[in-house]
Amino acid sequence: MSKAAAKSTAPAKQSKADYEGRSKPSQIRESNIVAAKSVASAIRTSLGPRGMDKMIQEGKGEVTITNDGATILKQMKVIHPAAKMLVELSKAQDIEAGDGTTSVVVLAGSMLEASQKLLSKGIHPTIISESFQRAAARACNILDTLATPVDMTDRQMLMKIASTSLNSKVVSQYSSVLAPIAVNAVLSVCGGPDSVSLNDIRVVKKLGGTVEDTEMIPGLLLDHKTCSSSGGVHRMEKARIGLIQFCISPPKTDMENTVVLNDYTQMDRVLKEERMYILNIVKEIKKAGCNVLFIQKSILRDAVNDLALHFLAKMKILVVKDIERDEVEFICKTLNCRPIASLDHFNPDMLGTAELVEEVQTGSSKITKVTGIQNQGKTMSILVRGSNKLVLDEAERSLHDALCVIRCLVKKKQLIPGGGAPEIELSQQLTAHSNTLAGIEQYCVRAFAQSLEIIPYTLAENAGLNAIQTVTELRNRHANGEKTAGINVRKGAITNILDESVLQPLLVSSSAVSLAAETVRCILKIDDVIQCIRG
Amino acid sequence: MVSLMPISVLSQGAEEERSETARLSSFVGAIAVGDLIKSTLGPKGMDKILLGGRNGDGVEVTNDGATILKSLGVDNPAAKILVNMSKTQDDEVGDGTTSVTVLAAELLREAEQMMAHKLHPQTIISGWRKACDAARQALESAAIDNSKDTARFREDLMNIARTTLSSKLLTQHRDHFAELAVNAILRLKGSGNLEAIQLIKKLGGLLGDSYLDEGFLLDKKIGAQQPKRIEKAKVLIANTPMDSDKIKVFGSKIKVDAVAKLSELELAEKQKMKAKVEKIVAHGCNVFINRQLIYNYPEQLFSDAGVVSIEHADFEGIERLALVLGGEIVSTFDSPGSVKLGECDLIEEVMIGEDKLIRMSGVPLGEACTIVLRGATQQILDEADRSLHDALCVLQQTVQDSRVICGGGCAEALMAVAVSRLAAQTAGKEAIAMEAFARALLQLPTAIADNGGYDSSDLVAQIRASHVAGQSYIGLNMTDGVPADMRQLGITESLRVKRQVLLSAAEAAEMILRVDDILKASPRPRRQEH
Repeated sequence: MSKAAAKSTAPAKQSKADYEGRSKPSQIRESNIVAAKSVASAIRTSLGPRGMDKMIQEGKGEVTITNDGATILKQMKVIHPAAKMLVELSKAQDIEAGDGTTSVVVLAGSMLEASQKLLSKGIHPTIISESFQRAAARACNILDTLATPVDMTDRQMLMKIASTSLNSKVVSQYSSVLAPIAVNAVLSVCGGPDSVSLNDIRVVKKLGGTVEDTEMIPGLLLDHKTCSSSGGVHRMEKARIGLIQFCISPPKTDMENTVVLNDYTQMDRVLKEERMYILNIVKEIKKAGCNVLFIQKSILRDAVNDLALHFLAKMKILVVKDIERDEVEFICKTLNCRPIASLDHFNPDMLGTAELVEEVQTGSSKITKVTGIQNQGKTMSILVRGSNKLVLDEAERSLHDALCVIRCLVKKKQLIPGGGAPEIELSQQLTAHSNTLAGIEQYCVRAFAQSLEIIPYTLAENAGLNAIQTVTELRNRHANGEKTAGINVRKGAITNILDESVLQPLLVSSSAVSLAAETVRCILKIDDVIQCIRG
Repeated sequence: MVSLMPISVLSQGAEEERSETARLSSFVGAIAVGDLIKSTLGPKGMDKILLGGRNGDGVEVTNDGATILKSLGVDNPAAKILVNMSKTQDDEVGDGTTSVTVLAAELLREAEQMMAHKLHPQTIISGWRKACDAARQALESAAIDNSKDTARFREDLMNIARTTLSSKLLTQHRDHFAELAVNAILRLKGSGNLEAIQLIKKLGGLLGDSYLDEGFLLDKKIGAQQPKRIEKAKVLIANTPMDSDKIKVFGSKIKVDAVAKLSELELAEKQKMKAKVEKIVAHGCNVFINRQLIYNYPEQLFSDAGVVSIEHADFEGIERLALVLGGEIVSTFDSPGSVKLGECDLIEEVMIGEDKLIRMSGVPLGEACTIVLRGATQQILDEADRSLHDALCVLQQTVQDSRVICGGGCAEALMAVAVSRLAAQTAGKEAIAMEAFARALLQLPTAIADNGGYDSSDLVAQIRASHVAGQSYIGLNMTDGVPADMRQLGITESLRVKRQVLLSAAEAAEMILRVDDILKASPRPRRQEH
């Protein structure tokens, strides 16, 4: 890496000797490939159900334990430009499919290794790049033929798929808890036939309990406690909920203001007026029949002051404050209410109705739960619990992956077997295809095909199996037409992976192959690293 | 005694480089810059990583000459001239930024040789000028104009877009992107207003998933609790504060002696906002787009009035919106009659990747469209954006001046042959300079062939031979590495771009050649802060 950095300062000096000879581009390419490969090999061991986790210590001393490729790479803070591109790649896979972030980087690393061999044979990078692109397109077509359509009403099947994704995580022993949650959550917010937005699923994580206590709440979950000062209410049945965006505190104009007092009798009057002003607001609220109040945070002034809280408590109104402005839309959608921006608009028809609003103790902190909502919108809240912060964070990440997997299926209702089966099949079909090609392309496509075998190879290696033996046996089975033979990590043998119902969405695999190929092509085309001036 | 003391004419810190040294340093600087970006030339050109620079520690991967040179910190006057030249080329015609730099550098390399043979710079320059004229005439006479025939003109445009894109990262998807670019340009109907074409980059998906949207996309959200779909929209575009109207006098203050009065004032402020909203609604619009924030209260008032409000549309977005929707940007709302409202048939929310955007379709300015770019990484997206921008610029140039010329080194060979022919007819030293000019022109196809890993000397010699024999459409076929007829391969470039490359490069080289003394001013002394 340092070599690249030293080279890159050369243009500023400009001596003629630096530009003679054509060795520099290949050195740069070599350095890029080596750097990218080292990133790939760093996270290779966390692939698959028997993959290991990484502990990452940040500069500040904070520790993260994870198995999620995108998270590891994000935390690694790589400096080398080519390595950064792999980090971007895993981010892109995260956006596109949400799962398979490790596989995509491992695949890219393997493809780079293959191209390194091709380069050393003197094949021009653009030819490799073109062949890889065609091979990737072909690979996606082959994947399509391997896929089977999935029925979105078959919950059992969906749960199995979610478990496949969860099995490779730290929280794998809880997959029986998390998988149904993920499936139910996505299915219940699924609006149209193909559209689902994960923004409609709210995940709140709270320390304490174990991952087993994770639950899906058919209603709304707020990561805020109810206001408890001066004996506030913590539980409200038959709630009428108002979400206000104005403040219940002494008036404040947008301009700077002062109240001028001349003598101390006026002081009493000012205090009294202030009380009256607030009491008036609170009375209006009560009059509209509201008994639960969510108050949006205000940066300009106190959203609600102690006096107001006192009155609200007296009136038996439950108060939750400090709601962020960007949460408002979600809350409105869930409660089927409308935000109220001024007191004049405080009408009963703006309110939402729920059976029960209550504050729940979770570990050391409290959250507010709203259940039994009338005409609830298509949203879902999930409460994730964990015994320590590391497990909690990892559980949240894993759940996110599982949600993404189900979402992938909603987007593209096709399934392929897991356990390395599709990769081996791809590899074999591409090799067969390469024999029909002529010239250098044949060579490149074959190398591409072989680089795909890295996935089953790594799976076997991580599971403690003899990798070479496993992969060769797998090849053999596939050559004999068993398209669904894959590595059964639990049994440590090769079986028909469909019997074990290890399944994954087509989108995860196809986007992994095509995104990896695109990034590899981009890296291959680079022949210089230039240090820029700022500005 | 005096002769022993060097007389210092220049102030301390200032430097002077004289004749030979000055020339040498210009040549070295210019040639170094040329060599640096030479490898990005042509369809098999390579990319460069730019480290640091504009986006902090980020990484940029690019093939665009102007972008590379812009980020390069050069400390050589001649190199700076080349960098500026490529920047001008980028502004003027948008493409050919690498070619122009390489050509200028090659001219200077030839000049260095000639200077070594004791040719006077002025002789070289006068030779070059004649050569440049001859090259331009050859170029213009070989140009083809298909603007009469719509179908063939479109084919020309497609070819030009493909040729431009083939040297970029998008090369594998060039058909797709050429289609996008040509469709977008043809929508402009010759107005050449690239403002109306918007490029939106969204991470995720593949390059091949990029598409042209006929409407106009705005990367913003519709206010809470407002309809997400509006038909027959009448849009008021504004730049006005909607959080509070303040008196913009520093230190303005309200003094009251009672809280009740304060609350009255607060109410008055609210009333004022309400009045403002009412005024806006009185314009008869059903969509209100503001450049600034719209706060909760006005947002609610808008929802009550059935008006959709979109807040925080950035400045560029607002200007483009005003252009596309045919409205004007308003800041005061007192005369509803005289304000021109923007219109469109349908406003709706669409999902791209993870994000929701607002799409406006059926806009009055039928020219407007949006190209949504998708790609695996930010680098790929940025590079796709730059490449597509280049293609759009070239296409726009072609729409304005519809003459086209063959690419793939064909045009250069054509010019080189014309120049050599002139040299053969010229008596005197100028002929040597013309020969040199021809050689420099041939360096472009040489570099293209070299980048592809082909035998450049053989190929270029073959091409030149065919051109001398009168086959003036022979150029490089970079897929197979053989000379071929460029018309059949459809490798076409805009005449305007090519001509600009020739003229700017010749001009810059001439300017650098004229230099015989470099003066460096003394750096401004840094004063100590006391």
